[in-house]
Amino acid sequence: MQEDEIRNRIKEIIANVAGLDPTKIGDHATLRDDLNLDSLSLLEIGVDVDFAFKLNLPDERYKEVQSLDSMVELVQGRLAEPRSEAV
Amino acid sequence: MSRNPVVVTGIGVVTPVGTGRDEFWDNLLAGRSGFAPVSSFDTSAHTVHLGAEVRGFQGADQVRNLDASRLGRASQLAIAAAHQALADAGLDSSAGLADPGRAGVSMGTTSGEPLEVERFDDFFLASDLAGMGTEFIVRYPCHVIAANVAAELGFEGSATMIPAACAAGNYAIAHAVDLLSAGRADLMLAGGADAFSRITYTGFARLGAIAPVTCQPFDRNRKGMIPGEGAGMVVLEPLARALARGARIYAEVAGYGLSCDAHHMTAAHPEGAGAARAMERALEVSGLNADEVSYISAHGTGTPTNDRLETIAVKRVFGDAARRVPISSVKSMLGHTMGAASAIEAAVCALAVHCDRIPGTMNLEEPDPECDLDYVPNAARELPVRVAMNNAYAFGGNNASLILRKCEM
Amino acid sequence: MANPRRVVITGAGLLSPLGDSPEALHAALLAGRSALGPITLFPTTGLRCTQAGEIPAFDAQALLGDRNFRPLDRISRLVAAAAGKALAASGWRPEMLRQTEVGLVLGTMFCGVHTIAEFDRRNLTRGPSYASPLDFANTVINAAAGQTAIWHDLRGVNSTIAGGAASGVQALAYAVDLLRSGRLDAVLAGGADELCFETFYGFYRAGRLCGSAADGEASGAEVPVPFDARRNGFALAEGAALLMLEEAESAARRGATVLGEIHGHGGAFDPSRGEDGGRAARAVARAIGAALADAGIAADRVGAVSAAADGGVLLDRHEAAGLESVFSGCRALPVTAVKSMLGEPLGASGPLQVIDLLETMRDGALPGIRGLEELDPVFPRAVLATSPEARSVDFSSAPFAVVDAVGFDGQCAALVLGPAGPAMVGHGDGGGGGGGSR
Repeated sequence: MQEDEIRNRIKEIIANVAGLDPTKIGDHATLRDDLNLDSLSLLEIGVDVDFAFKLNLPDERYKEVQSLDSMVELVQGRLAEPRSEAV
Repeated sequence: MSRNPVVVTGIGVVTPVGTGRDEFWDNLLAGRSGFAPVSSFDTSAHTVHLGAEVRGFQGADQVRNLDASRLGRASQLAIAAAHQALADAGLDSSAGLADPGRAGVSMGTTSGEPLEVERFDDFFLASDLAGMGTEFIVRYPCHVIAANVAAELGFEGSATMIPAACAAGNYAIAHAVDLLSAGRADLMLAGGADAFSRITYTGFARLGAIAPVTCQPFDRNRKGMIPGEGAGMVVLEPLARALARGARIYAEVAGYGLSCDAHHMTAAHPEGAGAARAMERALEVSGLNADEVSYISAHGTGTPTNDRLETIAVKRVFGDAARRVPISSVKSMLGHTMGAASAIEAAVCALAVHCDRIPGTMNLEEPDPECDLDYVPNAARELPVRVAMNNAYAFGGNNASLILRKCEM
Repeated sequence: MANPRRVVITGAGLLSPLGDSPEALHAALLAGRSALGPITLFPTTGLRCTQAGEIPAFDAQALLGDRNFRPLDRISRLVAAAAGKALAASGWRPEMLRQTEVGLVLGTMFCGVHTIAEFDRRNLTRGPSYASPLDFANTVINAAAGQTAIWHDLRGVNSTIAGGAASGVQALAYAVDLLRSGRLDAVLAGGADELCFETFYGFYRAGRLCGSAADGEASGAEVPVPFDARRNGFALAEGAALLMLEEAESAARRGATVLGEIHGHGGAFDPSRGEDGGRAARAVARAIGAALADAGIAADRVGAVSAAADGGVLLDRHEAAGLESVFSGCRALPVTAVKSMLGEPLGASGPLQVIDLLETMRDGALPGIRGLEELDPVFPRAVLATSPEARSVDFSSAPFAVVDAVGFDGQCAALVLGPAGPAMVGHGDGGGGGGGSR
């Protein structure tokens, strides 16, 4: 999957949880500060991203994600791995 | 003392560590655990598997007057506890009520009868709604729990349901006390009930709030709560009536305090402000100073956040006295019985006041520097309990503190 | 008691199928408009009943402001929106809420049962690791009250009361007691329930809806006609309605507009849950009698009654019998049943009835019972006067009004409304301190 496609899909998910227009989410937006998301919303985003891309990652990996950029990286990295189980 | 003091004269409990006052209290004092692998539904797709269920509960056997097949599990738990409480108060239904119009039921719950929604969903997903039957609307709405108890007992005064989540028991008892003080009732049965369900379990698991091995309130390595179920009911009546009929009085309800964080749905205020306000109000209304409290029954779920914030709140209210007041969490044994929790814990406070003993906080292996108060680690304790405070905090930011004290009559 | 604290109403906010302001609601009811129409929120394919009172699509952003309301489910949005309107109508600005703790008491039968079911279904279809955390927060029955408190900074006592169709009146009664006790000086109180497939289908299968008997068997027309001999059930509806209740002196000190006063409340329970008509009627009578006693007024001081009757076959009859016994000394006391137009909005019903009755006390116009043609033979015609059309009511010698609620499972509750000012017991010139200032 192309990075643009990944980024746009993640933006949609974040936008849905944050109640925003996806076009309003800057490419380098930080989740807590720029987008004002609390822990419950961040958890929801992690759940929705994992489901959307079928990543099968534990919650802890998503807790480390602070920004849209790092979420894109996480997804790209996971999709590139040869897979049998969750890390 | 208030102009119209209200006292606790009966206790009934159906819990993961015992049914009936004696078994329950003995097990609590002995530190028995109610935790076991969940049996009522399949947790193999979950990452956690422990629960505090009420095992072997034969609901139908407990219901005398209503048709048990039309009652959900929470209603059956509540009815069982209600009959026990009345019998404990020497007011068995067979004796008849002097004036049913002056007797009422006030209850709390977190989820009501979630098993009924689960049943609906099972049929829905199987594309077989036609097979569902007609009883969903009779069994599910949470008010039916209070209505079923009142109908079972023949009470005609009121049947109120206050679903204030995990603080609901305290809210229900507070409402009952108000009705009695205002002279709108002479006898109230108050408490809470909740049934174990995959909905509740999955939700808390999804929040990462369930402990994988055990519940260790205030312990440095605590990992969360253990969901449970149960019912706790107390009989409340005006002191004058209790004395007139020679009732055994456990304790007086000295007062209560309620507050709302208005901060976050699932996380408490970071400075414990709401919890502190509820405690302060309760003390104020009761005419007590913080240093007069002999024992605090904590909300103490065992989650890292709750226990830390609760400690902060207690320190805010109690100041130096915070280090001297023993605090224990029976959720270390019962798990979190949701809407029943603060009602069961109110019963614990009534017993503590009556017996001058308090249960310990079990599984407290390594103290947490941030939770540095006396949490009565690992063993029950004997001491004079003149005043007991029961704290409960809920989703939605609902906070409630109830104070019970020795009846000095 | 010396100087008992009195409870006045200083504003109201609502979303309903018949309008989103007290004026619009009242105008619609006077005009005899029906809220009922084909359901759009969910499919009704294969069901004999297809009508309900839906709130027209509302712009949550416009009503709630610029913040992220995604964490709120639909019922929470409805309640938060109604609360915002009530706060604005009663003149409570955000800076005032920062200074003063205002409470919230919400009556609801189901709150977010739709959210609960969706949460469960998602768990079952996707697995527990993909259950929705945001939805879980809304599965507790006090979620709408909690979300609304967060949204509007309501840090006073926050409570949810569940009593079926009586929830809203019970919530108002609970709030009155909070104010009388001195715990608070201001409380938003009312009720809400949303239309969803789960509850609609549940009532449908049980045969409670007009137009269908149990399990979708044929019945009468899909029209709710309270007190009518042909009635065969109610039509489900939704709504959210909150009133700002304040301690009278504190409201006067801040120069609040006073719409009226809640003079008394009462409640009772029928252990037969409607199966024993005599007991059921007595419970209705006891609730109303207790409210009158609490208000300190005799039955003949009541100028109008807004009944709970919704077309339910048994409940309407029990209520009529209960009203007859309370008001037996009256002649032609005007009674309306607005659920003939509104449908049955469950937790919102009592508060919507109160809001409409306040309008009636202001303009003297009482809505009729839409579609009423053939009164049930047991209806006490001499004591209570009904009309299919709106008509005028003279409150001059009977300035009070009663709203009563009859739950599906035995709960009965009632309120006595009136102009602001201490009520006088028995006969005499109107209730003391004059009408509300508008």
